[in-house]
Amino acid sequence: MNDILRPRAEDRYADELAALATTDDLPRPPGWKLSPRAVVTYLIGGTLPSGMVVIPKYIGSTRLIEVAVATLATDRALLLLGVPGTAKTWVSEHLAAAVSGDSTLMVQGTAGTPEEAVRYGWNYARLLAEGPSPAALVPGPVMRAMERGSLVRIEELTRMPSDIQDALITVLSEKTLPIPELGSEQRAARGFNLIATANDRDRGVNEMSSALRRRFNTVVLPLPATPEEEIAIVTRRVAELGEAIEMPAARHPADEIRRVVTIFRELRGGVTDDGRVKLKVPTATLSSAEAISVIMSASALAVHFGDGSLAVGDLASGITGAVIKDPLHDAVAWREYLETVVRDRAGWADLYQASRDLG
Amino acid sequence: MPVHLLGIRHHGPGSARSVLAALAEIHPDVLLVELPAEAADPAVMGLVADPDLVPPVALLGYVTDHPERAAFYPFARFSPEWQAMRWALAAAVPIRAFDLALAHVMAFGPDRDEQQADVERPVDPIAALAAAAGEDDPERWWEDVVEHRHSIDGFAAIAEAMVAVRSGRDDATGTEALREAWMREAIRTAQADGFQRVAAVCGAWHVPALTEPSLRSATSDRQLLRGLPKTKVTLTWVPWTHRRLMSKVGYGAGVSSPGWYAHVFDTSGDHRQWLVRIAGLLRHRDYLVSPEHLVAATRITEALATLRGRPRPGLAEVDDAAATVFGDGGTGPLALIHDQLVIGDVLGSVPAHAPMVPLARDLAREQRRVRLKPSAEVRVLELDLRLPLGRQRSQLLHRLWALGIPWGHPDEGRGSSGSFRESWRLHWEPELSIRLVETSAYGTTIAVASTARLLERADSTAVLADLTGLAELALLADLPDCVTPLIDRIAAHTAQHADVAGLLDVLGPLARILRYGDVRGTDASSLARLIDSVIDRTCAGLANACRQLDDDAATLMAERLTAAGSALALIDHPARAGSWQRSLIDLTRPDVAHGVIVGRAVRLLADSNALALGDVAGALSRALSYGTPPRAGAAFVDGFLAGAGTVLIHDATLLGLIDGWLATLPTDTFDDVVALLRRTFGAFEVAERRRLGELLSGRGDGRAPTPFGWDLDESRVTLALGTLAGILGVGPTAADARSVTV
Repeated sequence: MNDILRPRAEDRYADELAALATTDDLPRPPGWKLSPRAVVTYLIGGTLPSGMVVIPKYIGSTRLIEVAVATLATDRALLLLGVPGTAKTWVSEHLAAAVSGDSTLMVQGTAGTPEEAVRYGWNYARLLAEGPSPAALVPGPVMRAMERGSLVRIEELTRMPSDIQDALITVLSEKTLPIPELGSEQRAARGFNLIATANDRDRGVNEMSSALRRRFNTVVLPLPATPEEEIAIVTRRVAELGEAIEMPAARHPADEIRRVVTIFRELRGGVTDDGRVKLKVPTATLSSAEAISVIMSASALAVHFGDGSLAVGDLASGITGAVIKDPLHDAVAWREYLETVVRDRAGWADLYQASRDLG
Repeated sequence: MPVHLLGIRHHGPGSARSVLAALAEIHPDVLLVELPAEAADPAVMGLVADPDLVPPVALLGYVTDHPERAAFYPFARFSPEWQAMRWALAAAVPIRAFDLALAHVMAFGPDRDEQQADVERPVDPIAALAAAAGEDDPERWWEDVVEHRHSIDGFAAIAEAMVAVRSGRDDATGTEALREAWMREAIRTAQADGFQRVAAVCGAWHVPALTEPSLRSATSDRQLLRGLPKTKVTLTWVPWTHRRLMSKVGYGAGVSSPGWYAHVFDTSGDHRQWLVRIAGLLRHRDYLVSPEHLVAATRITEALATLRGRPRPGLAEVDDAAATVFGDGGTGPLALIHDQLVIGDVLGSVPAHAPMVPLARDLAREQRRVRLKPSAEVRVLELDLRLPLGRQRSQLLHRLWALGIPWGHPDEGRGSSGSFRESWRLHWEPELSIRLVETSAYGTTIAVASTARLLERADSTAVLADLTGLAELALLADLPDCVTPLIDRIAAHTAQHADVAGLLDVLGPLARILRYGDVRGTDASSLARLIDSVIDRTCAGLANACRQLDDDAATLMAERLTAAGSALALIDHPARAGSWQRSLIDLTRPDVAHGVIVGRAVRLLADSNALALGDVAGALSRALSYGTPPRAGAAFVDGFLAGAGTVLIHDATLLGLIDGWLATLPTDTFDDVVALLRRTFGAFEVAERRRLGELLSGRGDGRAPTPFGWDLDESRVTLALGTLAGILGVGPTAADARSVTV
C-alpha cells in the first residue's frame, strides 16, 4: 500500500467507516452502509461515543452536506456544481465511500467519453463467436452500480457530449437501462443513485439538456468562506501533495500561503479583506486550487533550484500567470490591484517590487 | 386569585398561537399587555378593534414637544400581543397596558430612550437556553421546543427555564428594574381591583421577576417608582411594513423572516403549502417549475428535517430544498423567494381618524415657518435662492421630494444648480396626506425622515447615475447627513464600474456637487479623492471604451466627452492639462476611435489650446483626405463641428482654419468632400448658414461682427474688464464701471 500514490477513500478511512457503522443505530435507507446522519458526520467530522475522532473531509457548510446526503436518500440524483478547487470530486468520492462503501464506480466525463462508459460495451470476440448474449456484454460503471444498488459518480458531466449525457435520462427517471440487443433491461437495485460533478464556469461547454437537469438536485459548493478556512485547506493540500511526490517541504511557507490566499480571495471577491477598497475582478478562476498550484510550483523551484525557501520572484510570476488570463482586462485589474493595495500594504514591498519587475 | 403569566417571544408566531389557545382556556377577566401604560387610553387601544387598523402597524410614542424623540412598538398580525389584544377586544375583556409609562422613559433623556429593554439585558435569554440545549441557532431552538407545541404547558416550561437563566444573575437595574417594578405594581392593582383571573402577556424574560416567590414587597416597588421624572408624550398608530419589521437597526423588530412567520401563524408552518407558494411565484417570473419539481422539493424538505432531527421542516429546510431543486444552483430564484415571500411586501394601514402623526405635525410647522400653505390648486412658485426664505422653501420642497411626497414638482428647464432661480409647480393632493402617514415610519421630523428615505433609496439602487442623482438631491435638500454615505457608495460603485461611459456620466454631477455643494458636514476631501479616482479610471479605459462603437453610440460618447470636459473645467481639475488631455490625444491616433469621437477630441483639444493650429488643420485634412473612407471623414467633421454654427461665426481662427483648408483642396477632391461637409453644415440653423456665407464672401449688410480671436483690441478689453470687475465686486466700484460703459 506504501507504493500507492493515492489510496481510495474507503481504504484510507476504513477505520472511521467501520467505527461509524458500529455506533450508528439510526435507520439506514435500503442499500446504504450508514445512516444519513452518520454519512454527514463522516464528511464534516466529529467525535464518536467511542472517543474516536472522525477527521473532517469537507471544511465548509454543514448545511450543504446535509442537503447532498438528503438528496441521495430521495430518488433524485445529485449534481455538485462549483469552480475548480471547491472539492467537488473530493466530496463525491467520500459520499460514495460512506454511502456504498465503494468509490470506484466512476465515469470521467471528457469530450471523448463514449456511450459505452455510460451504458455497456461488448466483448467483441464473444459477440462475434456467440452473438449477443449476457456473457458477451461488458457493463459500464453505471450499469454495475444499478446491479449492485450502489452509488456511481460521473465526473465533469458537462464535458461529455450532450447525446452521451442524455443516455442518463432513462436511467434516472425509469431506474432502468434497456438492452435492446438482448431484448432485456438492467433494473436498478435499491440503493442505486448517481452523483455528478460539473464546473459552473464551464456551463457553456456542453449545456445539460433541461430534461436531464430536471432530474438532478443541485448543490453549489462555494469557495471557502473565511481566509483561515482557505489557508488551512491550502496548507493541508500542499503538505499532502508534497508527501505524495516526496518533495522536501520548502521552508517558511506559512506566510507565503497567507499572502497568496489573501491576494486570490481579494481579487475574486472584488474587495479587500478589510472591506475598504473595491477591486476589479479578473476573469481568471482564482480558487484554492490555483493557490495550491502557485505554492507548489514555487516550492518545486525553491527546493530543486533555489535555497529551499520560497522566493518572492517565483511567487510573483506564479501569481501573475494565474491572475492574467485575459491580457486586456485582467492586466488592468492586476495593475490596479498592485498599485492600490499591494504597494501600500506593510511588509509586501518585496512582492510589489517583484511583480513590477515582471512588467 | 391566580395570575397567568404568558411569557412570549416578541413577534413569535408560535407564541401567538399558544397565547390564543391559553386565553381561550383561561378566559381571564382582565388582560395585561407589555405596552407603555399610556397605550391603555381608549383613543389608542380602542383602535385595535377598528377593521381599518391593519397590521403591520406600530404604536408610536413621542415627546410632544420634541417629536424627533420617539419610540415605535411594531406589531405584525402574528405578534402575540396583537392577537391577545384583538382577542380581548372581541371578548369584551378589559385591557391594561402594564409596562412603565413612556412619560417616564422619555423623561430620562435621549441616552436612555430605548424602545425596548432588550438592549439592557445582560444576555440574550433565548441564546443561553439554546446553548444549554446544544443548539447553535437560538431561533431554531425556540421554534422546535416551544413554538411547535401549542399548549399552556409550554408557558410553564418557559417560565421555569427563564428562572434558570436569570438565577445567579444580579437583579435588574436601571430602566429594566423600574419596568419590572411597574409591572408588579400593575398586577397588584389588577388584583386589588377585584379581577379574578388575571392574564399577563409579556416577554418571557420578565416572567421570573413577576412570579409569586419573587414578588418583592409592594413597599420597595413603590419606593422605587416614587418621584420619577415625567414629560408629556403623545401616542398614535402608524402603518408599518414587513421590511421594516425585519430591520435590526432603528426601530425594526429584528424579525428576519416576517413573511414566513405570517405563514407559520396561518398554517402552523405547513411546508407543502409554502413550496406551492414558491412554485407560484417562480412560475409568475417565468421559471420552469413542474409538479415533479414540487414533489422532489417536498421530499427533500422532509428528508432534511429527518436528517437534522427536527420535529417538522422549518424555514432552513424549505430554503435548502428550494435552492437545490428550483434554484439549479443559481442564487437568483432564492433571492427572489427571500425578497417576495420570506420577507414580502406587506404594508399596514391606519384608520383616517387616528391621531395625527408627528411627521404631519412637523410638516405643518415647517409650512408655517416658510409661509407656504398646502392648496389643492396648482400654482407656480418662483424662488430666489439668494434670499433666506427662498432657500428655506427650496429645501423643504426638495426634502419632501426626497421623501416621496411630491408636493412641488421642479419645473422643467429651470436653471442648473449654479443659478439662483428655481421654479416649482405646487399641488397638494389628498393622497399626499396618506403618503405622509405611510412614510411616518421613516422618522418623526421631515429632516430625519427624508434622510432615512434617501439612504434607503441609495441602498436599493445599483445604478451609478441614480446614486449621483440622489447625492445632488441631498445637497439641494440640505441633508448633510446623507451626503457622506452617498459619496461612499458612489466610490464603491465606481471601482466596480468597468463601464467608462457610466464613469463619464457621473463626472458632471460629482463636479457640480464639489463646485456648488454646500460641503458643510460633508467630507470635501473624500469627494475630491473620489473625483480623482473616477478621472484616473476613466482615462485608463477611455481608448478601449471608444473602440468599436456604432454611429449612435459614438455620437453619445462624443457628447459625454464634451460634458466631462466641461465638468473638469468647472472644478478646474489639474487633469485637464494632464491625463485627460493625454487620453484625448490618444483618441486622435489613427484607427482608435469612431470618426465622431476623433473629431470631438480634436475639437476639445483645440479649444483648450492643447493642439497647435497646424495640428488641428492636419487632423482635419487627414480625416477628409482620399485614404480615409468617406463615412469616417464625414463623421469626423460631424464630431468636430456639431452644433458649432454660432461658434464658427464668432471664432475667426476656427473659421479661418476650415476656410483655409477648403481653399487648398484640388477641384476633384473638393467635389468628393463637399457632399460630406454638407451633412454637417446642413444641420446648422438657416440664419447661421447665411451669416457664415456672408462672412466668408465678404458681402452682407456690412455690419459683420469682428469675430473674436487672439488679436484683441486691448483698450476695448479693458473697458469690458472694468464692468465685469464691478459686477463681481472686485477692483473698480460698480459706479465707476457704469460710468465707463455709458
